Amino acid sequence: MLKFLKQVVDYTKETANAAKYIGQGLAVTFDHMQRRPVTVQYPYEKLIPSERFRGRIHFEFDKCISCEVCVRVCPINLPVVDYEFDKASKKKKLNSYSIDFGVCIFCGNCVEYCPTNCLSMTEEYELATFDRHELNYDSVALGRLPTKVTDDPMVTALRTLAYLPKGVMEPHDLPAGSQRANSNK
Amino acid sequence: MNSGIDLQGTFVQSLSDFGISTELAKILWMPFPMLLMLIGATVGVLVNVWLERKISAAVQQRIGPEFAGPLGVLQPVADGLKLVFKEDILPAKADPFLFTMGPILVVMPVFLSYLIVPFGQNLVITNINTGIFLWIALSSIVPIGLLMAGYASNNKYSLIGGLRAAAQSISYEIPLALSVLAIVLMSNSLSTIDIVEQQSGYGILSWNVWRQPIGFVIFWISALAECERLPFDLPEAEEELVAGYQTEYSGMKFALFYVGSYVNLVLSALMVAILYLGGWSSPIPIELLSNLAGVDPTSSWLQVVGASLGIAMTILKAYFLVFLAILTRWTVPRVRIDQLLNLGWKFLLPIALANLLITAALKLAFPTAFGG
Amino acid sequence: MQIAEGVQLVTFAILSILLVGAALGVVLFANIVYSAFLLGGVFISMAGIYILLNADFVSAAQILVYVGAVNVLILFAIMLVNKREDFKPLKNGWIRQGSTAVVCGGLFALLSAVSIVTPWSISTVSPLASSVVPIAKHFFTDFLLPFELASILLLMSMVGAIILARRDFLPDNLGATSTQDSLTLPERPRELAGK
Repeated sequence: MLKFLKQVVDYTKETANAAKYIGQGLAVTFDHMQRRPVTVQYPYEKLIPSERFRGRIHFEFDKCISCEVCVRVCPINLPVVDYEFDKASKKKKLNSYSIDFGVCIFCGNCVEYCPTNCLSMTEEYELATFDRHELNYDSVALGRLPTKVTDDPMVTALRTLAYLPKGVMEPHDLPAGSQRANSNK
Repeated sequence: MNSGIDLQGTFVQSLSDFGISTELAKILWMPFPMLLMLIGATVGVLVNVWLERKISAAVQQRIGPEFAGPLGVLQPVADGLKLVFKEDILPAKADPFLFTMGPILVVMPVFLSYLIVPFGQNLVITNINTGIFLWIALSSIVPIGLLMAGYASNNKYSLIGGLRAAAQSISYEIPLALSVLAIVLMSNSLSTIDIVEQQSGYGILSWNVWRQPIGFVIFWISALAECERLPFDLPEAEEELVAGYQTEYSGMKFALFYVGSYVNLVLSALMVAILYLGGWSSPIPIELLSNLAGVDPTSSWLQVVGASLGIAMTILKAYFLVFLAILTRWTVPRVRIDQLLNLGWKFLLPIALANLLITAALKLAFPTAFGG
Repeated sequence: MQIAEGVQLVTFAILSILLVGAALGVVLFANIVYSAFLLGGVFISMAGIYILLNADFVSAAQILVYVGAVNVLILFAIMLVNKREDFKPLKNGWIRQGSTAVVCGGLFALLSAVSIVTPWSISTVSPLASSVVPIAKHFFTDFLLPFELASILLLMSMVGAIILARRDFLPDNLGATSTQDSLTLPERPRELAGK
């Protein structure tokens, strides 16, 4: 009899606990309702990529010495380096250079190992196209100057959490001129 | 509170003054409340969808629909229009007749149940004696439609979803009916009007929720399960069953399921408001206020104000419960099917039975407090 | 009372057509799922006829019990055991069907003749405002015994169902050692029933 009663008491306690936990959960969700949305409304607002962001690769044609180090360090040997040996100057002459961003994994090895720093990472990440072959960038496309989020007048640039002033959690409605961490712009 | 506004009586009276027979006048009156209820239920769905999306967004610190109309209020309308113009796809080797009948059978009983939802003394389509029992009976038709949709879709996920939905609504109908029975025991009537009348004596103090706290919780849990709301949305559990019985549906037929589920949610919330939260009666009785202000309780403007207040109160209470359901949706994770059935049969059913017995005993012991 | 009577007559006609049509469909459809769904239609039309007879409580109970419980359970059983099987058409099947039709038609003719010929005593008592209370009174006075017997019957069937459902089958690897000729699964002997 006592054992049975204990069972009943335990069961009731468990039920009460379950109800309590559900109540606590509801309190948490209710509390979250009053917080400001963290939404970044993408086409109108964009987060500023960090300095180490690995976006579309920039290529400077004139600096390249056609050493093909980028091809060697690439996990899939992606860059296509087309050169011919110029006998007069005894140097390699670059004809064309291309990287297919449909295949690139943006690991940044090529940028790291490039002896003449002709490759660099940009903060461009909007690479969507209607045809995947358009992602195969040739040296001209690779040499275009990268667009910056902060330069676009259509876009409100927002800082990511690490670049916000101390204690601020939320990138909206910051005082003007505090867009970049290390610039006065 | 016995008089109230009698629109039907006035309408019939004024038409018979024009020389039309009373019967014809009554028949002419009939479409108005029905149409009003149909429109009201549909608009209720739109409001509900908007609320659901906005509140869900707020809970997850998102913004939610924003660009369609002010604060995105037109988003559900846009969704509905999209569904209307969408192609109606019939899956290969599906049963065309049963495939069409399924959603109809799901939606019809839910809309029919609005017959007995009172918004005021005379603001109800039919005040029939079986009242709340009719709602329980009608809601038991829904699983047949779900089974039909699940079977006719020629899809394993649909069939499993349909079977789960039917199992779920059968098992949760019993605690639901038992908790309603406890209320009926206290108010001595199945009619929704009488049930509200019986709790309108002392404002918020006389609401059934104080006398039936256990019944209230059981009813709300079972109602959530009947509506397939999130802690119990196993029939459409997308991780396991794609979308359950709705998997193969598109266009208007899918919209019927969608509308049906939301109408059902509003209906359940209205039922909780009527059974436990005093229906149309306001927390402070309006008679008391009018007496304090020294207004003649039979004056016509007071009655108009009272009726509007009643409608507002009912809807407010219902939408408070809808809000609670949405909040629950983002708080409680989905239960497993065995947990669901355990909760229904091993927890809610015995407690509902005990609640009924205790209510009966209390009614015998304290007839004044528990409805003699 | 012209309009009301007309409405009643039309409703009765519609309900009867629905009822008879659905009932015929239950019997005549080869697809058992159709039959089961049409059975629900039969029950709902019967509930409609109950409403016409001023028995609103009975009609609601009819929907709740027969449509909501019985019919759904039948559908459940059919859908969980739905085995696709191609039936071979019988050689002289039409003889059976024809004789069944003759017997059924004869029975129908007989019954309708009886119901037309019999001088029914039509009750002149005006219908009750609320049928719930009289039904309850009957249940707890003169119909108490059948009511309780029915509940005991239901309890017995429930216990039976639980016993059938809770059978403990031996796992496959254990069952493989015992040589069994029948197709039934090896069942673990139950302690309660054995002792």
